[in-house]
Amino acid sequence: MPESGTAPPSAFGRHLPMNGEDSKVRVLAVEVEDAPNMLTKVSGAIRRRGFHVRGISVGPSRQPGRFRITLHVDHGHAEADQVRKQLERLVEVVEVVDLTGDDVHSRELVVARVTASELEALIKRGAKVISTAADGTTVEFSGEREDVGEFVDELHRHGIVDVARSGPVVLKRA
Amino acid sequence: MILEALEREGVEYIFGYPGGANLPIYQHLREHPKLKHILVRHEQGAAHMADGYARACGRPGVVFATSGPGALNLVTGLCTAYMDSVPMVAITGQVVSTQVGRDAFQESDVIGATSSVTKHSYQVTKIDQLPRVIHEAFHIATTGRPGPVLIDICKDVQQADAERVSPERPPAARRADFFQIPGYKLNGHVDLDGAARAARALSEAERPVILAGHGVILSHAESQLQELAETAAVPVGTTLLGIGAFPVKHPLSLHMTGFMGTGWNIKAVQNSDVLMMVGMRIDDRVTAKLAGFAPNVKTFIHIDIDGSEMGKNVRPHIELVADAKQALAAITPHVGKIQPDRGKWLAQIDAWREEHPLRYKRSNGRLQPQDVLIDMYRRAKSEAIVVADVGQNQIWAALWWNYDRPGLFINSGGAGTMGFALPAALGAKFARPDLPVWCVAGEGGFVMTAQELSVAVEHQLDVKIVLLNNFSLGMVRQFQDDFYGGVRSQVDLTHMPDFVKLSEAYGMPARRVERFEDIAAAFDAAEKTKGPFLIDFRIDPEANVYPIVPLGKSLNEFWEAPDA
Repeated sequence: MPESGTAPPSAFGRHLPMNGEDSKVRVLAVEVEDAPNMLTKVSGAIRRRGFHVRGISVGPSRQPGRFRITLHVDHGHAEADQVRKQLERLVEVVEVVDLTGDDVHSRELVVARVTASELEALIKRGAKVISTAADGTTVEFSGEREDVGEFVDELHRHGIVDVARSGPVVLKRA
Repeated sequence: MILEALEREGVEYIFGYPGGANLPIYQHLREHPKLKHILVRHEQGAAHMADGYARACGRPGVVFATSGPGALNLVTGLCTAYMDSVPMVAITGQVVSTQVGRDAFQESDVIGATSSVTKHSYQVTKIDQLPRVIHEAFHIATTGRPGPVLIDICKDVQQADAERVSPERPPAARRADFFQIPGYKLNGHVDLDGAARAARALSEAERPVILAGHGVILSHAESQLQELAETAAVPVGTTLLGIGAFPVKHPLSLHMTGFMGTGWNIKAVQNSDVLMMVGMRIDDRVTAKLAGFAPNVKTFIHIDIDGSEMGKNVRPHIELVADAKQALAAITPHVGKIQPDRGKWLAQIDAWREEHPLRYKRSNGRLQPQDVLIDMYRRAKSEAIVVADVGQNQIWAALWWNYDRPGLFINSGGAGTMGFALPAALGAKFARPDLPVWCVAGEGGFVMTAQELSVAVEHQLDVKIVLLNNFSLGMVRQFQDDFYGGVRSQVDLTHMPDFVKLSEAYGMPARRVERFEDIAAAFDAAEKTKGPFLIDFRIDPEANVYPIVPLGKSLNEFWEAPDA
């Protein structure tokens, strides 16, 4: 991992600020009701309080009619706990759990098409081949944010045709 | 069903304006004589009237507007209510649901435009959401920290609602089990340990101060506040919106705090060692430069019903997320032996009160706004509602206020919305026909919503308008004079209508006053007249607001009025 201040090999791979800046990022699991305006309300609350989204994923929650949003949010000049408190004010938000600093399972997913013929290095890192075609091989990889970042760096060395990367999903360890 | 739901909520007045996208609602309005509809002359006026109505009687104000420009004209009024935690329900028409997103005639994204200035909002696209949504909206608007809620109803839903032959009765309205808002949680009990610690901190403090905000008035906690202050021998100041929460003439009163607060209040806050702030946001108008706010405080105590206020601006040492009334009532019994030197502190405050009195220059022979207000307040005797606009008129009206009762001073504190006073005063009069209502405004703000004079005349509302006319945007002019190098830029309002003729054109009597000697006679005439009356007070154009803290400076650096 590069030291703070040096340019990372790929901005895409390291989309989260590192080191000192990282301490301003909160990790939140937000349970919301499935309403047409839900994302507008959540993103609006984040924007107007001067916070900044560093990573987001949205998926159905265990409970029908609800979604779970996993957020990495920079709290800017506000007190760290303001992110949770401001989101909790929204009527659409059922619960906010702040997982920052907790012992968690955290995963991001990357799906990429690479030109490389030799995939061994990627497979050794844990990549799975999804399909092979004339214009490249499609692989997937999931792991912690840093591992995904390093994997993407590795991909760059192999020649990426296309790549898609998800936001984080985080689950508290039992 | 929409109108029936409003009836079930006990709605008396609707302030609104019809248009293409809310015609089905208006078609059936006449069948509901309990719902009195006030036709405003601009939707912003409707929002401010509903706001003034709600602040004057505590019940939520109700607004109707059509889609597009109609709904968007509400935005400033919603923001005004949101910033000051005023309960309001706005029902806007929306294009038919299948037209949404097609840029139909008078379509706008009302939810998108208003979500930052509402406590909650709904878009109703299916009839089965009614009437639940309406009852939820009233519940959300009026509970916890109150605020405006907007319901955007597609025209086809209104149509289907109007055509329903036998409307299905909802289960007993306002029952929580019929709501679908699991994310809406109200704060429960007071943390008793925190209350005990707060009481101990106040008792043991050498130099304690309590500041009370709008939350004290919203929670009807003024007697609990007074009891705590007297039991613990702690002086009490209020924010601009907290005016009335503590009797101004009480020996422990510090009057108004903040960057245009009284000198003795500022001195007390800046020298305090324990500062309790109740039902307030501690915004920049209270703290001035945050780094210089209350620098000697060892224990900040913050009480607010909204947990997100804790640490938003000032990190408290003791926090109570609770209703002000319950929290204050929980603290008082724990007040112990008062710090023996408390008498010295109170004596010091009395000395500051003598040293830094409110004063104004009156030697130049011009009509002074304070003279006008002193006469007005003398007549009101704590039994009239005063609605102020924004600017110098607002601060003069706040500082020269002399009541001992809460909820009688209404103004736009957080948003600072010019043009608020006239429509809000009319709303207040609809809410409290039993009380005299005075509207205090500068000429700049007054003309922003002056079209609502038609409403005053149409309903013969007994509202007296005190226009403090200085031919300029006075507060901006003062800031330019004092803090922006004396460069007067775009503040000249010489070209204004003749306000006496303007009032007469609307069909109401008015009079002009230019000399101190004529103040009383004009007020006599206003009081004798039934219905609306305007007095155009041509005040000293150089009159300023003092004390004032220079912009960006700390409270310690407040300026006082030059020698009288």
